[in-house]
Amino acid sequence: MPVTVQTPVEKWNGAVREVTLGATKADGGTRGRTVTVGGSATLPFLHFEGAIPNRPVIAIQVQDIDPLDWSPTLRSAWGDVTKDVLKWAAKAVDLGADIIALNLRSAHPDSGNRGPEEIAETVKSVLGAVDLPLIIYGPGVPEKDNEVLVRAAEVAAGERVAIGLCEQNNYRTIVAACLANGHVAIARAPIDVNIQKQINILMSDMGLPLDRILMDPTTGALGYGLEYSFSVMERLRLSALQGDGMTQMPTICTIGDEAWRAKEAKVSQGVPEVWGDFAKRGVVWETITATTLLNAGADILVLRHPQAVENVRKAIDQLIA
Amino acid sequence: MSDLGVKAKRDGQCIIVFKPSGKIIEVEQGTLLLDAARRAGVEVITPCGGFGRCGRCKVQVEMGEVARRQSAHLTQAEIDKGSALACMTVVKGDAIVYVEPKEKVKLAPPLETAAEKIALPIACEWQRNPRIRKYYLEVEPPTLADATNDLDRLRRELKLQHGVEKVSVSLPVVKNLATALRQDGWKVTTALEYDGDDQQARLIGVLSGDRSSTSWGVAVDIGTTTVVVYLVDLLTSKVVDAATAYNGQINAGDDVISRIIYSQRGDGLAQLQGMVVKTINDLLIELGGRNRVKLPEINEMVVAGNTTMTHLFLGINAKYIREEPYVPVTTHPPVVRAAELGVRINHEAGVYAFPSVGSYVGGDIVAGVLSSAMFQTDKLTLFIDVGTNGEIVLGSADWLMTCACSAGPAFEGAGVRDGMRAIPGAIEEIWINTESFEPTYRVMGNLPPQGICGSGLLSALAELFVSGVIDKGGRIRRELGTPRVRVGEHGAEYVVAWASETQDEHDIVLTEADINNLIRAKAAIYAGFSVLVNSVGLTMADVEQIYIAGGFGRHINIEKAIQIGLLPDMPWDRFKYLGNTSALGAYTALVCQDMRSVADEIAAKMTYLELSADNSFMNEYTSALFLPHTDMTAFPTVADLLENTREKLVLTRGSSVV
Repeated sequence: MPVTVQTPVEKWNGAVREVTLGATKADGGTRGRTVTVGGSATLPFLHFEGAIPNRPVIAIQVQDIDPLDWSPTLRSAWGDVTKDVLKWAAKAVDLGADIIALNLRSAHPDSGNRGPEEIAETVKSVLGAVDLPLIIYGPGVPEKDNEVLVRAAEVAAGERVAIGLCEQNNYRTIVAACLANGHVAIARAPIDVNIQKQINILMSDMGLPLDRILMDPTTGALGYGLEYSFSVMERLRLSALQGDGMTQMPTICTIGDEAWRAKEAKVSQGVPEVWGDFAKRGVVWETITATTLLNAGADILVLRHPQAVENVRKAIDQLIA
Repeated sequence: MSDLGVKAKRDGQCIIVFKPSGKIIEVEQGTLLLDAARRAGVEVITPCGGFGRCGRCKVQVEMGEVARRQSAHLTQAEIDKGSALACMTVVKGDAIVYVEPKEKVKLAPPLETAAEKIALPIACEWQRNPRIRKYYLEVEPPTLADATNDLDRLRRELKLQHGVEKVSVSLPVVKNLATALRQDGWKVTTALEYDGDDQQARLIGVLSGDRSSTSWGVAVDIGTTTVVVYLVDLLTSKVVDAATAYNGQINAGDDVISRIIYSQRGDGLAQLQGMVVKTINDLLIELGGRNRVKLPEINEMVVAGNTTMTHLFLGINAKYIREEPYVPVTTHPPVVRAAELGVRINHEAGVYAFPSVGSYVGGDIVAGVLSSAMFQTDKLTLFIDVGTNGEIVLGSADWLMTCACSAGPAFEGAGVRDGMRAIPGAIEEIWINTESFEPTYRVMGNLPPQGICGSGLLSALAELFVSGVIDKGGRIRRELGTPRVRVGEHGAEYVVAWASETQDEHDIVLTEADINNLIRAKAAIYAGFSVLVNSVGLTMADVEQIYIAGGFGRHINIEKAIQIGLLPDMPWDRFKYLGNTSALGAYTALVCQDMRSVADEIAAKMTYLELSADNSFMNEYTSALFLPHTDMTAFPTVADLLENTREKLVLTRGSSVV
């Protein structure tokens, strides 16, 4: 006897807000195209329930100095281009990136400690070399972030780049720079729904429009807190759908940073044989972390390995179809 | 060191001279400096209980040899100059030690309510079954023909004259009997104690002469910080007088945990018991003197205190209160006789301590629920007692739920750089101009300010927030362009009073760390409400009335407490301040012994929720770590206020950045 099962359809009061990165000539920028994320009025990929106007996108991470400490798997995949951020960015475009995530690591006191003027030159040249929307990350040291990101925001004025990271104890300077130059700010919280909402509120209290905030609830890689990230992202999405305006920002996940920090992705020697082929392991780690968080509601995935980019894009294609 | 003025000294003993008092003590080598000082009668304060955590027991070793344990509270430079923490230093040889004399807190804490205004908080038939009954007797003196012994003679007359059939006696009363009978020509007044509806009376006192026109009892609230005693006329049920003082245990630790730690050292438990008993005795002497009441004529005492205070008062081991799984020795301590505790009322007077619910919801809260009458109401009531610990009770006549949240002592002025107790010289209220960021403040006693007390801290937090000096996360906005905001050695701070305005010429500031401490304190309390209300499937909006109890409660400005999210956003008329409900409960059970079984029922009915075992507490807590709260929809009036302030500022400052 055939059993008919009614698919349960939830009615939601809210939706994720749409955020657009990049500005074309028409909008006062120089990008070849813009990328809009968010807008979902349902849980991830429940097409039968609500609108999903924009597909999740992939940002490929490039750095402004050669990352000698990266896993050999990554280094051999990218080859020589990592020595030159412009070539690296161009190759990322060729690989089909939706966005270029420029990591200003050279400003870190331990990796060159470049000052704001040198950084400004880097940002200018990357903007000139590629016409995709940009995400710009500071070196992750509050004082240096504030110093170089303000300058980066100035030289990128009008390009509507996303700038990060804003955290609860250090957000005012970056938000002010985004306000002044028309950018989008990224709010990061340490895997905590309440703190995420708090930082979102603090940033919006400064006058930053809600469609210029992305949230980064902190990514835990596979085996390193992935389930926590999943659960927090799921709670944020549920809260957004229930109509809480302060959790309706699109979500960005720094998959590459976290997946490639895992011992499994980095270490080839002295590990159990059952871990399998080292050349594939890191890529699998990054792919699984990314596809898992896609299902938790990630809107932007920042990735590192070209093969992972391809795997994740295929997954998105299938999930969105 | 032979010139210390003490000649004879035994081997292994060290002579310690304390300056500036000049007190000298001989102690064994290896004795803790703190113990030596206490034995010499030199007061050294140990807010942390003598565990090296606070660094407040710093003394100067001017001469002699000591051994210090390492401590973060001493720099090498200080050690070089002779500084030592008394609780972390042992005596190695003869020594001269300078102990900074403590400015004695002579000022008694203010009394909540004048005695004549204190009324029985709930209706009870106090005349139905008085526990203490006094009878005047004229006894026929013995003769050779009637040689009945004194006690049987007394019993005979009690039966003949007052129909008292069964009387039990104890040795102390018998010992005193011969004198009492003969002192005033065989005219005596007997005091009998009737326990509940038991017909057996206990003879607790025989006084010569007719003393039947008065009958005294005392109700005592033993708080961690203050002790309150009501002198009660048991014949009229009226409070005749009241007195209050700081709990003498304060020097041994600020909070219950420090006291418990202290009680575990040597004879610490006996010391602590002695300290609080002395505080009570001093208050009794004060009340007795003022009202011409002889203390031995006080025949009954009822005590309400938190579980730790009750344990320490009765000399019961409090160790396990602070160790998982947090069990007290007893929640229903037996009635004891005053003499056993050293309380200087009638030696045979019964001392009844209120039952508690658990380690962190004590007799003071049971007494509070009793006196608030919330156990009789149909309205859903939230009862809160905000002190170092916030105790919360939710319920009505049908059920009662309770929890304790450790808010920390921030609202009592501790853990805040310029925090202080609510005594003259404390800033008790602050207003901040939203345009100039300049403060105005009111000081208790109209003196130059010395620090900020709990109510001042609460209003400061609210004003800093509403005026936009701090953001919703409690961070000081450094870019305001006012000299009031600066970055000091403890990080960013807001100057409440410049040195030139103050008593001891130091800037009174609120640092970002202070602000975070206050936010944590309020978050713990609010999270307690949320978890308790949610645990029974209700929401905050279902709460029909909020009763506020406790000393700090009196000073809570409801409006500001809502602005910072300490109290839920509700119409102000739902809040009611009840005063010292612990003392009121003790008073009720003193005059009306039926209320003791009611107290037992209340304690049994209260369901205790352990917040540390509740998985929603951390979520509620983090969510409350924001001004006023992460969920702004729960604070609509505050949202409106911020919106209005923002609009006004946009007009005046021409800026949208608030």
